[in-house]
Parts: sequence; C-alpha cells; structure tokens
Amino acid sequence: MKDMSEIEIPETLAKKIEDMIKDTSFNSISDYITYVLEELLEDMEEEEETFSEEEEEKIKERLRALGYLD
Amino acid sequence: MEEYNYIVSGLERSGTSMMMQILYMGGFPVAFDKSRKPDVHNPKGYFELEGGKIINRLMDGTFPMEKYRGKFIKITAYGLKFLPEGKYKIVYMTRNLDEIMDSMEKMSGPIDRETEKPLLDKLNRYIIKLMERRDDIDYIIVKYNEVIKNPRKEIERVNEFLGGILDVDSAVKAVDPKLYRNVREGINREGAKNE
Repeated sequence: MKDMSEIEIPETLAKKIEDMIKDTSFNSISDYITYVLEELLEDMEEEEETFSEEEEEKIKERLRALGYLD
Repeated sequence: MEEYNYIVSGLERSGTSMMMQILYMGGFPVAFDKSRKPDVHNPKGYFELEGGKIINRLMDGTFPMEKYRGKFIKITAYGLKFLPEGKYKIVYMTRNLDEIMDSMEKMSGPIDRETEKPLLDKLNRYIIKLMERRDDIDYIIVKYNEVIKNPRKEIERVNEFLGGILDVDSAVKAVDPKLYRNVREGINREGAKNE
C-alpha cells in the first residue's frame, strides 16, 4: 500500500463529495480527491509541455528585439 | 573535459554574460567572438558567438557543436530547445523575472508584462524540465542574486560541478556588484537539480 498523507478540507465540501460519490466506483472521499488531483496535475504538466504558435511567436519577437534571433 | 560541450544558459538578461566572464576569468576554456561589442547593457561584453544569433543556427541544424567541445559557449534558454544529441554540461542562470524584464526594457523598450511574464516563466520551467528529462544533459542551476550576494560560495558550487578546475580566486573577481543593476531585494526564482 502507498504511503498516505492526511489533508484537511472543509466539512461542507467533504459532505458534498460524499453525496456525489454514492453509487460510483469511488470507495471513499480520499479516493475521489486523489483521482481529481492526479488528473489536474497531469493536465497542468501536459499544458506546460508545449507552446502555442502565438506563444512561440511572442518569444521570438522578444528574442529579435534583444538581438538573439534574425 | 573534451567529451562534453559546456553551455551557459538562462533567459536573456539572467546573468549569462556574467557567468561566462566568471568562467573565463577562472581559466575555463570559453569560446566567443567579437561580433557583439560591449555596450551600456553589458559593459564587460556579451561573450557570445555569431552576434548571439546561435539560435538560428541551432534551429536549422547548422551550428557546428563539435567544434566547441571542451569549451563553454553561451546559448540562451530558447536555444536549448534545439540542442542536438550530444553530451552537455550546462550552467543555467535564473533570476527574478521582474528584474529580467526591467533589464530587457532598458535594452528593447516597453514590455507588456501581463503577457510576457507568464510566458518567460513558462519558458524557464519548460527548459529546466527539458534538461531534467534529457539523459545527455547534466546541469546546475545558479541564481543570479546569489552570485551577487555571495560570489565565492556560488562559484565554488559551479567549480564542483565542473570537476574543480576553476581558479576560484580569479573567477570571483569577475563579479562586480556595481555593474549589476535592476536587483529587486528578497526575491529569486527557485531552481532544481544540483542546487
């Protein structure tokens, strides 16, 4: 079993999650929060992996202005 | 030493020229030409090749990396996206982004900070992750403000990374705090491996 850490969330939020996960495959509030956080972190990491065309162009514009790119 | 390509990198205006000067004064082989003359923004010189426009050559795959094996060259952060496979040791400079933009503005005019600050932050994080991911890159992160505050300590750290061949006493003399303006107190970008 993985090592686990305890975190605190507001009672009202815990209650909402408890109601929401009834009749789902999540066995506990912790299971649900772990799933959501893993998904969120994965999305954030993927987002950082690439630059949009607009972002690339903005970076290149700055490099040109500073004399680092033709 | 000959097996590696050595690179000083970081966002523009993060102290890359200062680090090149430190390495040069410390006796490490450093490659640069006189295509970009010292100016008010870098009074001690830029320590660059091809007028700082290596990135173009890296992008089109024509930069002769093998020619510079065993020497330090300067390639600013974005250029690391295009590094060919090799064996690299990289000294990566970080600096508070507001200070970087203060300095950029002096060089290239007003910056839309709302747009560019997150972008520079993203580029910095992207490049650090890239270095972490690549097996052919060994790197150390050096904070600009730490070098200004405690040059000997930081240069000794760099020296250890390079295998102890720097003349630290001489290298320390390259750091002239009077030249380094735009320092905002108490803030620094954090680093990663080898910090």
